[in-house]
Amino acid sequence: MFKLNLKIALRNLWRHKTSSFINITGLAIGLSACLMLLFYVSYEWNFDKQAKDSGRVYQTMTNVMENSGDILFTFNGTTTALGPLLKQQLPELESVCRLGYGRIKLIANGQNSFKKTSVFAEPGIFDMYDYQFISGSPATAMSAPRSVVLTESMARILFGTADVTGKAVRYEDREELTVTGVIRDLPENSSNRFDFLMPWSLYEILDPGARDLNWNDFSYMTLVKLRAGASADLVNKRLGPMLKKYNDADQQHFLYPLGKLHLYGTFVNGKSAGGAIEQIRLFVILAGGILLIACINFMNMATAKSERRAKEVSVKKTIGADRLSLIMQFLTESMVLAAIGVVIAIALIELFLPIFNNLLSIHMEIGYFSMKIWVVIIGLVLLTGLIAGSYPAFYLSSFDPVGGLRKNIAKGGFLSVSLRQVLVTGQFCFTVMLFISTIVIYKQIQYIKNRPIGADVSVLVQIPQDGALLQKYEMYKTALLRSGAVTSVTHASSPLSHHGSNFMGISWPGMNKPANDVLFNQVHAGYDYVKTTGIKMISGRDFSKQLASDTASVLISASAAKVMNLKNPVGTQVKVFDDQLTIVGVFNDYIWDSPDRSNAPMVIRLDDKLPGVVTMRLNPDRNLQASVDAITTMTKDINPAYPVELTFLSSVYADLQKAEKILGTLSNLFGGLAIFISCLGLFGLVTYSAEQRTKEFGVRKVLGASVFSMMQLLSLSFVKMILVAICIAVPAAWMLMNRWLQQYEFHTAISWWVIGIAIVGTLLTAMLTVSLQAYKTATANPVDALKYE
Amino acid sequence: MIRIENLEKVYKTEDIETTALNGINLHVKAGEFVSIMGPSGCGKSTLLNVMGLLDKPESGSYQFMDTELLKLNDKERSNFRKKHMGFVFQNFNLIDELTVFENIELPLIYNKIPSAERKVLVDEMIDRMNIHNRSGHFPQQLSGGQQQRVAVARALVTKPKLVLADEPTGNLDSSHGNEVMELLCELNEQGTTIVMVTHSSHDASFSNRIINLKDGCVISEKINKGRTEELI
Repeated sequence: MFKLNLKIALRNLWRHKTSSFINITGLAIGLSACLMLLFYVSYEWNFDKQAKDSGRVYQTMTNVMENSGDILFTFNGTTTALGPLLKQQLPELESVCRLGYGRIKLIANGQNSFKKTSVFAEPGIFDMYDYQFISGSPATAMSAPRSVVLTESMARILFGTADVTGKAVRYEDREELTVTGVIRDLPENSSNRFDFLMPWSLYEILDPGARDLNWNDFSYMTLVKLRAGASADLVNKRLGPMLKKYNDADQQHFLYPLGKLHLYGTFVNGKSAGGAIEQIRLFVILAGGILLIACINFMNMATAKSERRAKEVSVKKTIGADRLSLIMQFLTESMVLAAIGVVIAIALIELFLPIFNNLLSIHMEIGYFSMKIWVVIIGLVLLTGLIAGSYPAFYLSSFDPVGGLRKNIAKGGFLSVSLRQVLVTGQFCFTVMLFISTIVIYKQIQYIKNRPIGADVSVLVQIPQDGALLQKYEMYKTALLRSGAVTSVTHASSPLSHHGSNFMGISWPGMNKPANDVLFNQVHAGYDYVKTTGIKMISGRDFSKQLASDTASVLISASAAKVMNLKNPVGTQVKVFDDQLTIVGVFNDYIWDSPDRSNAPMVIRLDDKLPGVVTMRLNPDRNLQASVDAITTMTKDINPAYPVELTFLSSVYADLQKAEKILGTLSNLFGGLAIFISCLGLFGLVTYSAEQRTKEFGVRKVLGASVFSMMQLLSLSFVKMILVAICIAVPAAWMLMNRWLQQYEFHTAISWWVIGIAIVGTLLTAMLTVSLQAYKTATANPVDALKYE
Repeated sequence: MIRIENLEKVYKTEDIETTALNGINLHVKAGEFVSIMGPSGCGKSTLLNVMGLLDKPESGSYQFMDTELLKLNDKERSNFRKKHMGFVFQNFNLIDELTVFENIELPLIYNKIPSAERKVLVDEMIDRMNIHNRSGHFPQQLSGGQQQRVAVARALVTKPKLVLADEPTGNLDSSHGNEVMELLCELNEQGTTIVMVTHSSHDASFSNRIINLKDGCVISEKINKGRTEELI
């Protein structure tokens, strides 16, 4: 029976090529979009879950408290003292590991030097992650301080081979390290990625401050692994009172599953409040929606063809088929179609995966050898076949044999017509909503992009202040200026686009509380910071080399002046931690970190000695490439050990909107696909409707109907459905997108023209689709039409 | 074999009620060949559909080999139909996607006959209908007469006790029509009971008994002497 059903299905596909094409194209595109999104979702979902025991690995989180006792924010930074204490006091922990954040550092094999991501960690890291050693072993890899573990590709970059255990590399142009292990490259979807891993004991040599166990410096992470069966909740309950005994500062720590941190990384009041998972949910809805649109096409086409199939159903029933066998036959047909669709979909995915990876700046691979993938793919085929085929199967198999044989199945019947209308309306509802969302996201990106940065970044370049660039900064600056490639040079502890140093230890005259409870941000900058970056002074002046007193001066932002409620800030004395500083200037706030929200009030202090970045303003009168080349040569001369990493700040600022851009690209892409599949379905329906009414149109034409009036006749019912869809979709999209916009402090509004474009765009596309076929039908020779019947 | 008593069937649309069968009584003996004639709309096809369990009457009784069929549910009707009845239609009603062989095989599949046995039965039938050079063809590739022979083969392959034919020659020219009628006669002579609806008195002349319907009632019944004597 199955063989026979399969045969009928395949022959049916072959005989009705147009509808097969529409169905297969729609399903293939729908399935590839859906699979691609699902692969992406699984990529995100599996973040930090690759290790066998990843379920027992927890990150220690810190709640930063306000003076009022409220939780200001939660992050994963911990102190050096925490890890050893946890290990000593909590028998539930199998392993504890302190590690630093990944930093881009220099690693060299002789003259070949590269800046790659490095991490310092205690040997416990081998308990947290299942690194696969190609050579060396976790037991010995970190026993000597001056040792390093390389990833396979790092080893190949440095030495051209992975067989490098025992060889020497040079770290930051000052430490000779021995390679004690080579491991397979880490999965892309891992939070603590590195190219080379060094022992914590080395870090304690390089930064003696890390040796003593302090409770103040939150620059490190602490990972723990629970013993099998231990409860994180119980540990968390004991943690508070236990910490109180050893640490008088009232810090709160808690364990949070490492595998959840990537997707549920937003904390409010110390409790997880979602995070990237919301975007993942959005993608799942998008994936399902697109597949559903393709399935609806199939259902619509199948029921539209019902007249043609009625005879077959009736004959089969007459000669003894029961309903179940007919249902199975129609389901087989949809499964066959879904299977063909998925084969094409996989080909499409293979074709577009590199582009997709590029768009999202990820490195996703599809492991065709893993069972899981095939379970998903086959599951999707079955699900698609079932969704797409169930309605036609139950509808067609319900035909009563007498009616079908007489060839007078009521055209569609009440239920089927209304259901088909509901399906088309639903399809276009989703499409219109995607259309509106795409425009709104685009508008928001433009809005933020057009928000003045507050600094003139168009000709700014920056370079990390590594190696000799710190000691020889003055010499470097003089050389740069003399060359004429740049007009101004400054340096700062953090790049203009990202200021990471938050603090609260500031007090000012007239402060009405014992301590400041507003988070401030500080940057340590050299001379010419204002001049180089082009930030606008409201009052006062930049630091001056001529005034020795400026070493005890500070610049504050307009928002800082507002928080401090100072009438004439210039000349006012403020205290930052233990330093008494005089405000010499007030500057306008400028954008750093998130361009969509206002920043914390900030202060700029004069300090030439802290490493950070050198920022320079290119000479606008010179050829850009020539200036960049000149800077590269000079930098290489002064700092030969390090590669020259010159970045344009304009591109850095453009990258700040990466998340929105990804969302924009995806909604563009999948919105476009949804519209295409919907129109494909519409085209199919109009084609069938035209075919069914061939005779009617012939008669009408003989009686003198105009082409336009017949086109109108054929198009009107479809246009009506789309209008209904618009009426439902517009308010829904309005509400959803307004909610989306609310998360941005600076956001655009959904103007009427956005809705207008979406309505006109959808209607135009749909009308074009419909009228193509309608025109063909309306202009056909009526004699042919009448003969046909 | 068949006892039909007081059969009534009414078709209702929104505002019109049409009585298709108005208290019909009809008995058919095993081995008989009965023609049903009458003007368009007299209820011939409805009667045939009721006899074939394709349609349900409002009231009355329909006994087939002493079983009351009107009390059966859908599944039982379907089972009964596929075991005991074969159908031949005016417009052949072959399935376009299946070859001649597969079309004839289809009822056997629904009767869950094993594959090897199916092949024997279908080949036998193809031989009998003299269409073995066409067994791999699709219906569209055959002439009307050939298609009707395939349809007859399909009706007979399960060896039904009753064959119901609805104007089997309606779409055929006279020579092909005669071929089909001779085929039916031959079957009848081998013991199959046949009930045929027809407009053509020529076709009816092949049967033992001719029943005339009008407005849903039997108005006359005629024994076809020549054939009946042959039967005796």
